[in-house]
Amino acid sequence: MSESRRALEERFERILVAHAAAISRLAHSYEAVASIREELEQEIAMAIWKALPHFRGECSERTWVFRIAHNRGLTHVWSRRPPHQPLEDLEEADEPVDPRPHPEEQAAQTHQRARLMSAIQSLPVIHRQMIVLMLEGLSHAEMGEVLGISENNVAVRLTRAKKVLKDAMGVKP
Amino acid sequence: MIEDRELDIWREQWSRIAGPSPRFQREIQQKIRRQNLRFLVGNVVTAIGFVGMLIFAVVLRRQASWLGAWWATGISALALVSAGYRFWILRGTWHPETQSTRAFLELWHRRVQARLRLLEISVYVSLGWIVFCAVLTAVNWRTIGRDVKAHPRDWLEVLVACLLMQPVLWFGAAWIRRRKLAELNEVKKALDELDQGLGTSVP
Repeated sequence: MSESRRALEERFERILVAHAAAISRLAHSYEAVASIREELEQEIAMAIWKALPHFRGECSERTWVFRIAHNRGLTHVWSRRPPHQPLEDLEEADEPVDPRPHPEEQAAQTHQRARLMSAIQSLPVIHRQMIVLMLEGLSHAEMGEVLGISENNVAVRLTRAKKVLKDAMGVKP
Repeated sequence: MIEDRELDIWREQWSRIAGPSPRFQREIQQKIRRQNLRFLVGNVVTAIGFVGMLIFAVVLRRQASWLGAWWATGISALALVSAGYRFWILRGTWHPETQSTRAFLELWHRRVQARLRLLEISVYVSLGWIVFCAVLTAVNWRTIGRDVKAHPRDWLEVLVACLLMQPVLWFGAAWIRRRKLAELNEVKKALDELDQGLGTSVP
């Protein structure tokens, strides 16, 4: 194996270790079914691998990873078009309740998390991206870089997206 | 500051979402190996196909009749023009995923439009091919006519196969066109969504 190839593989592994959890969370926002979500996570990782040799650091690594992950998520949404799971039907299908003390509290937390995820999944796709990037803690400038819009536009659209999410969660103003 | 409290709660819930499975990295490594192999095999098969076609064309030009030589030249020219056009029409739409969402959607839009154009051209090319074959047959009717009289059943089978193939190709093209138009609408909708920030319901 050549030196450059080894360096590329090491870099890829480092990126996966650093961003695997974020990729997984992002995949949750695009896919509710666990087995298909796993495939989506792998597709995102493969897209990162393919694009890695061309990455010259024009933006931060995190922004770059989120761009790829979101774009792959968009493709997934339009190729799959699953029927959305309504909030009322939502149970903690693939998240077992933690058997440690206070099981009721754990169950309530799991349910809350599932409600949040279902609400995010029900959002229009651009709003969904904004909310996910916000929850991941990206700055407005970074969000603008991922989406390709100005910081001012990010602020305006984020306010709208939050309102839509609150409506979806049934939060009263 | 109610909103900030909600935001904090959402962030806290979001951060607790389970990460990827423990076998994630291993599966990715396996996928990369499989993909490298597919890439290698794909390239080898393409190269073999192209060289084979060239050899076939050259042999046919040397050995066969005037008809065979024209047929081989036509096939080669068609393959070259198709490949060149495909390359030209899809230029600038590779590796779009590293772009921003807007750039990605714009590239996607271009790519779907390019594929639609390619599809239209393919239909015209298939029609052109029929005309080309018909002209070639008419020009060489003296030779072909004798063969048709000698083996009418074989020629009938060829004719029926050609006639059946065309509607299948056109129905296939129409089906792909419908899918591509639906995809184009979705991409337009997302671009509008991004421009307006108002949001339309995309499942």
